[in-house]
Amino acid sequence: MERWDYTGAKDRDVAPGQRPMCTRRETGLVGALVSLPWWILVRGYLRLAHRLHVCGREHLPLDPRFIIVANHASHLDALSLAAALPLRWNGHVFPVAAGDTFFEKPSAAWFAALCLNALPLWRRRASGHALTDLRDRVEAGHSVLILFPEGTRSRDGRMAGFKPGIGRLVAGTTIPVVPAYLEGAHRAFPPRARCPRPTPIRITFGPPRFFADQRDTRDGWRAVSAELETAVRALS
Amino acid sequence: MSLDALTMNRLFGYESAFDHPVTRWIVSVAAALLVIAFLLIFALGKWGRLSAETYRELVARTVTWAWLVPLLFLPILAGAAWTMVGVLMLSILCYREYAFATGLFRHHVTSLVVVIGILALSFASVDHWYGFFVALPALGVVVLCAVSTVVDQPEGYIQRTALGLFAFLLFGFCLGHLSYLANDRDYRPILLLLLVTVEMNDIFAYLSGKLIGRRKLAPRTSPGKTVGGALGAMVMTTGLVVMLGQWVFSGTALGKMPALLGLGLVISLSGQFGDLMLSSIKRDLGIKDIGNTLPGHGGLLDRFDSLLLAAPAYFHYVGYFRGFGLDQPVRIFTG
Repeated sequence: MERWDYTGAKDRDVAPGQRPMCTRRETGLVGALVSLPWWILVRGYLRLAHRLHVCGREHLPLDPRFIIVANHASHLDALSLAAALPLRWNGHVFPVAAGDTFFEKPSAAWFAALCLNALPLWRRRASGHALTDLRDRVEAGHSVLILFPEGTRSRDGRMAGFKPGIGRLVAGTTIPVVPAYLEGAHRAFPPRARCPRPTPIRITFGPPRFFADQRDTRDGWRAVSAELETAVRALS
Repeated sequence: MSLDALTMNRLFGYESAFDHPVTRWIVSVAAALLVIAFLLIFALGKWGRLSAETYRELVARTVTWAWLVPLLFLPILAGAAWTMVGVLMLSILCYREYAFATGLFRHHVTSLVVVIGILALSFASVDHWYGFFVALPALGVVVLCAVSTVVDQPEGYIQRTALGLFAFLLFGFCLGHLSYLANDRDYRPILLLLLVTVEMNDIFAYLSGKLIGRRKLAPRTSPGKTVGGALGAMVMTTGLVVMLGQWVFSGTALGKMPALLGLGLVISLSGQFGDLMLSSIKRDLGIKDIGNTLPGHGGLLDRFDSLLLAAPAYFHYVGYFRGFGLDQPVRIFTG
């Protein structure tokens, strides 16, 4: 008789207070019960207030095992991209958020973890270890990461250059990377505004890129981020 | 609804917390033991009898006991309603540790059914509705087997359904007996008697294992346990149960000698088997501790493993002799 497969939670050894910050975090019953209503509300809001329009859905892989990279101009970006994916993937879609903005205060960290299902990445002290955790998580399957390789929201709406970290995540792996371009998000909710304005948002997905034969070196990482930057610009 | 003064007093009557002499003794002895344990550890540490590591470990353990004991005792003293809430929390937290350790937590639908089942057991207890309480294991089988098909994923069906059922029976139904027991007028001493003797049973097994233990009891399951420890615990726990039990159960058929001896053996054996059961579960999963909730102890389950099998065994043994809550109104809300 074959043994049953008991794979315990990957964050089981993490102290309870540290769970929101853990990049190996897995969604349990509480997370599912909190995030499902949250995402249903967010989807309804984006559809009604921002008439969220999605082009190129056919480019999305059928399995939830890929990374989305996009331009970043507002707090609505990650919400819109996650809302463009099928609701049955709820709990498997992880926006990667700046640790120093979203995960410093415990209340904010719990909100980011339970509602947004966000994973933290510390911008100045992002260790190779954190990136390896993220890479392992996508490679194992059942995880879609949403990443903004510009590193911060654009203050004037124009897209900045991509940082090489994304290359470090995918160079030499079979992980598909889907480029996406967000239009109108900056007008709807610019970084300085307090509340979003009800103006339309449009998402365009491009065909996925693969970097299996890209070398896992500094030059390889730069090549990956340059190629993805071009791909996202081409969708604008 | 039949919430008369008698029921309200049982559910929320903290004024009568110390009415029974055995409740007073157990609470004061537990408080005294904690103080003595702290003094002893500090003294031994001062005299340099303990290595730094042992000292830290002992302090962590005792500090955990120092907040765990009030957390266990206060709901029991405050009233039957709070006792039931406490057992509900214990059930859910134990299930959470188990689900995270076995991987069952990834099956949200199965997990949700188990949690709803645990809530239903609590309701049956509060309502004092024995028929529903004993129907729930059967209904649990029906609902879990049915709902597990909904995700249309035949691979792993037996595993997730069986893991869910096992959890519901152990952490819901077995522990739930502690909650149902609070429908008795004298639930405070009856419940404290079980908690104290089960925990002492662990300590007795450890102590007598150190003193007279030579032959291993189950070296593959739990290398630390010895035959001497198990026998020593049986003798000492039975002694303690006879001592406390004749006061708790005086005036009933259980207050006499042969019945009390049997009660001691039931508590000691079911407690030790519960311990061995959790050791087997942990070996099977390949982990050392099932959680990290209690510093110095491991998870909640590592601490309360002996209660899992002892609770229903104790409940039905005592129930055979005297019944539970026979003078209390039944089906308070649904009746």
